[in-house]
Amino acid sequence: MKKVIISLIGVFLAFSVFFGASLVAAKEFVVGSNLVLSGPGADGGIAVQRAVERTTEIMNKEGFTVQGEKYTVNPVYYDSKYVPAESVANLEKMLSGGIKFIYSMGSGATVPLVEKTTVAKVFMMASCSGSDHLTSAKYPYSFRVYPCNEAAFAVYPWLVKTYPQIKNVAHVNPSDEAGFTESETRVKCAKNLGLKNVANEFFKRGATDYYPVATRLVGTKPDLIDFGGTAGRDQGLLAKALRELGYKGLITVHYSNPAVFSQIAGADNAEGVLFPNSVAEPQTPGQQEAHDWYVKKYGPPVPGMFYDNVDPLFMLVEAVKKANSFDPVKVSEVFRNLQWNSIFGPMYMGMESLYGLKSSACRPIPTGVFKNGQLKHLATIPWPSDEAVQKLNAK
Amino acid sequence: MGDLSLIIQMFMTGIIMGLIYMLVALGITLIFGVMRIVNIIHAELTMLAAFFMYYMFEVWHIPFIIALILCSAVISLIGIFFQRYLYKPLKYEILNVLIIAAGAGTAVRSASWIIFGPIARNISTVFPGMIRILGTPVSMERVAVALICVALTIALYIFLYKTKTGKSLRAVEQDSEAAAVLGISVDRVYVIVFIVSCSLAAVAGAFTGMLFAVEPEMGNDPFLKCIMILMIGGMGSIPGAILAGLLLGLIDSFTETLFGGEMAFIIGFALLMLILIIRPRGFFGYEA
Repeated sequence: MKKVIISLIGVFLAFSVFFGASLVAAKEFVVGSNLVLSGPGADGGIAVQRAVERTTEIMNKEGFTVQGEKYTVNPVYYDSKYVPAESVANLEKMLSGGIKFIYSMGSGATVPLVEKTTVAKVFMMASCSGSDHLTSAKYPYSFRVYPCNEAAFAVYPWLVKTYPQIKNVAHVNPSDEAGFTESETRVKCAKNLGLKNVANEFFKRGATDYYPVATRLVGTKPDLIDFGGTAGRDQGLLAKALRELGYKGLITVHYSNPAVFSQIAGADNAEGVLFPNSVAEPQTPGQQEAHDWYVKKYGPPVPGMFYDNVDPLFMLVEAVKKANSFDPVKVSEVFRNLQWNSIFGPMYMGMESLYGLKSSACRPIPTGVFKNGQLKHLATIPWPSDEAVQKLNAK
Repeated sequence: MGDLSLIIQMFMTGIIMGLIYMLVALGITLIFGVMRIVNIIHAELTMLAAFFMYYMFEVWHIPFIIALILCSAVISLIGIFFQRYLYKPLKYEILNVLIIAAGAGTAVRSASWIIFGPIARNISTVFPGMIRILGTPVSMERVAVALICVALTIALYIFLYKTKTGKSLRAVEQDSEAAAVLGISVDRVYVIVFIVSCSLAAVAGAFTGMLFAVEPEMGNDPFLKCIMILMIGGMGSIPGAILAGLLLGLIDSFTETLFGGEMAFIIGFALLMLILIIRPRGFFGYEA
């Protein structure tokens, strides 16, 4: 019996070594994808996974060449379940498997990784907010691949200019890493633009009933309620509660799929809601192609997180090609200075004034509005200059 | 919002949410009362019911009432499947059932993400519009759902106390061996209990899907509240579930509105601990 067990362990180890090694074998560029694929937050994770799937599908038709050898992309998926401990365990698996490039999402699941990835000199693309807990001079190999809380620097000046009636702003966010960083940036932007922050509320992500938090918000009589880092079904439920309690002012919803939002909130409750940083309807050929691919494969509607994550893997491969190397340090430097024509328009790593290093995605912000039961593209807000960001970021 | 209006608002929200949690809790407590097992897959049955309702009512346009009846039937069949092929082979041992149900629940949720995808959905309301109660706005659907919860609780009471089948359920609840000696088929009673419990889950799923959103994790939050309700009210006690449901709904509403969301959980659990220290079996629970 003892011999059988020892033999089985031996066979298992041999297989582990063989398959473990194959993860980093030549001809395959392995990107460890630490996504939320189950549990709360899986709506976003599956959307990111589908964006990665599309990119891989397109890229692997031709492959790409580094140092004369042809490679394909192999995204190996790990489910973080949006649990920090699971996420760290995934990272350890990736590191022991020799993976040097990581794509991670959800600030609660990604912030706990950044110290370790930095020490291990592993390149990390973070599809989440998290402010300087994720991207700063301390973490030179970590990049935020779509504008999160930073989008407030573009959106708030536009809001003030477009809607001069806004005087009082209420903020509402989930009570987690994403919510706190979103709230911090947005409160600061509003204040520095001369608006009065009348409320800064937090709620438990994935809660059932939003009447209590909506009651608190309505009581502060705001002209604008900024949903900040509120995501997924929480957005629709919160808006529904606000409208049912009689709130008639402006609402801004970010990171949204407006079609799903209006379905959950109800078309009447969605009327007039603004959707900064969300694709209302495809505006560029790139957005249209991504939209068509998604609809053909998975059916409508297209999740907002899908659009946000169409470009990063393309950008990473471009950086690898330009660096002509799989060295994460070299790739990081190329990635930092890459100019990319994204599906949103010109995209680059910036926000040096905020984080001390060019490390966070900057690109135009598509904005839509729900009007007459229809979702309409309203504006494409240009990305602000570093000076403008500095001014709004002042204490 | 004036002070009186705010109090009315908090009170109504508390009562309505308490009644909804109570409806979910009744299904779990009924099974515990009769079979002495905690059917923690009830949360997933509620979620599956919401998805079935969504497809039947929104996609296939089956009339709401017919869809609800079909949904109850389907969820009951799934429940009976679990009872027959998971719980019965384990001889209804509480700990084994708890572990296997937790595993099955996770599997059902994970499969739901794969099958239904990442997009949250909503069941269109069949009670549109708003009304004012003492000058405070409240949606018709919330009032209607609350009334349906009350009606179902009364119906459950009548079923358990005024019908022959209900009496056989209570006989098994009190002493299954004695009930069997008196000619009551315990196996049949177990199936009936699952049908009633799953039907309650189906109704709860349909209406929470209408009031809130339909997504694979939708059962988690109400389930946690239900466990609190059952502990406070007493495992297996229907009056306990009603009283604790309303109490927790009101505490949630007042604390969340006055102090914010996280405080509601802290206060809710503090109350739970206090009650369990003073009265370990809850308000109306069984003696150990």
